[in-house]
Amino acid sequence: MGFAYQKLKKVCESLGEHNDALYAVLAIAVFKGVMRPTFTMMDKKSDKETKKYAAFREGLTEAIAFCSYIVTHKIFKSLAPKIAKKTGKSEKKVANGLSLFSVCLTAGIIIPAVCNLTLKPVMDFVKKINDKKKTKFGNKSVSNKLDIKENSVKSIVGIESFSSVYTPKLSANSRALMDALYQNRLQNSNMKVGG
Amino acid sequence: MGMFIDAITSNAFQSVAQNTDACVKIETSLKAIGRPAFTLIDKHTDKETRKYSATKELLYQLLCFGIYVAVIPPVFKNGGFKLCQKIFAKEGLPNFRSAKEMLAYYHLAHMDKAERALEKNKKFWNAISDTVIDKTIKAKNGIYKDGIPVKRYLEMWDKDKITRKGKMFKLAKGSIELSSIIGSVVGLTILAPEISHLILHPIMKVFGMDKHPSKNDANESKAIDKKV
Repeated sequence: MGFAYQKLKKVCESLGEHNDALYAVLAIAVFKGVMRPTFTMMDKKSDKETKKYAAFREGLTEAIAFCSYIVTHKIFKSLAPKIAKKTGKSEKKVANGLSLFSVCLTAGIIIPAVCNLTLKPVMDFVKKINDKKKTKFGNKSVSNKLDIKENSVKSIVGIESFSSVYTPKLSANSRALMDALYQNRLQNSNMKVGG
Repeated sequence: MGMFIDAITSNAFQSVAQNTDACVKIETSLKAIGRPAFTLIDKHTDKETRKYSATKELLYQLLCFGIYVAVIPPVFKNGGFKLCQKIFAKEGLPNFRSAKEMLAYYHLAHMDKAERALEKNKKFWNAISDTVIDKTIKAKNGIYKDGIPVKRYLEMWDKDKITRKGKMFKLAKGSIELSSIIGSVVGLTILAPEISHLILHPIMKVFGMDKHPSKNDANESKAIDKKV
């Protein structure tokens, strides 16, 4: 209890001292990245493949958001001392202002732009890999599709009756060889094992 | 450039930057504009799918904003603040009645004394009750023997002295921010997706966009196959 109390107090004091705009948006991105794919995977109405695709897409979007927020924040924060020196304003104030500005810029422009540019190629690439795996190891859905084809069962030329399918046609030589083997098997059957 | 720096270092902008509630509202609003706009200009997909996705995204973000405004300040911000006041009862925090009252004090405390007296800041003064008392400092006798009203700090001291004396009440401010962050996470990652499942499709139906264009195409092709 004491440890938790001290930790909570420390977190609250730290947030009271300085609350960066980045904290809330990062927390939202992390939890969205975990919760949204989980909810999607729990949806019983959609099929497994669709769920997997949607969940991966949602997770990827939030991962892009998380990285974008951090990268833009770092870039803008590094500019703060130079701007403060140039304008004579307080560095802390400039850094705070730039932090909120970077969050706005990232949420409104950078994340949607990066998602537009990268999501489609990445999802296509992942789909390609999945399709390759399926063709390599065999896939139920592929065989099902083949069954759907019209006239997929065609009459095989040379088979007159159903019994001919399991009674193979043999040439004269083959028939003689089969008879000899059959006779040999009958003779051998008289042997006493362990005799 | 100069105007931009003046704007981001202004007191109003600084106050917004330190406020989780305001930051999340701004972020959600920008998402509601940016995401549909970028979806519409995406050249990877056809026009109908883009329109469908952009409308859905816009409605989802507006729904998120609505949930945020309706749920977070009354439930999480105030509730979290009250809870923290109970948890940190030993720390000698003043008896602020609500998060709003505390934030009004915090806002004024960060201004110069002259700025506090301006007419535009009267609403902040009015938000703070005279009965909010800091019991950590007591006069030996007289009217302040039970503690000093926090309004007196704002009348007597400038920003630096309030900070030096530790009367910015960082713990109270931090507890408001922490409960707002928790509220934002719960609201936007658990409540919003669940509610959007229930509400979004009926709304889309009203707009005549209840089915995804690509799914419509699939249905049409199935129908043709059956006829063949």
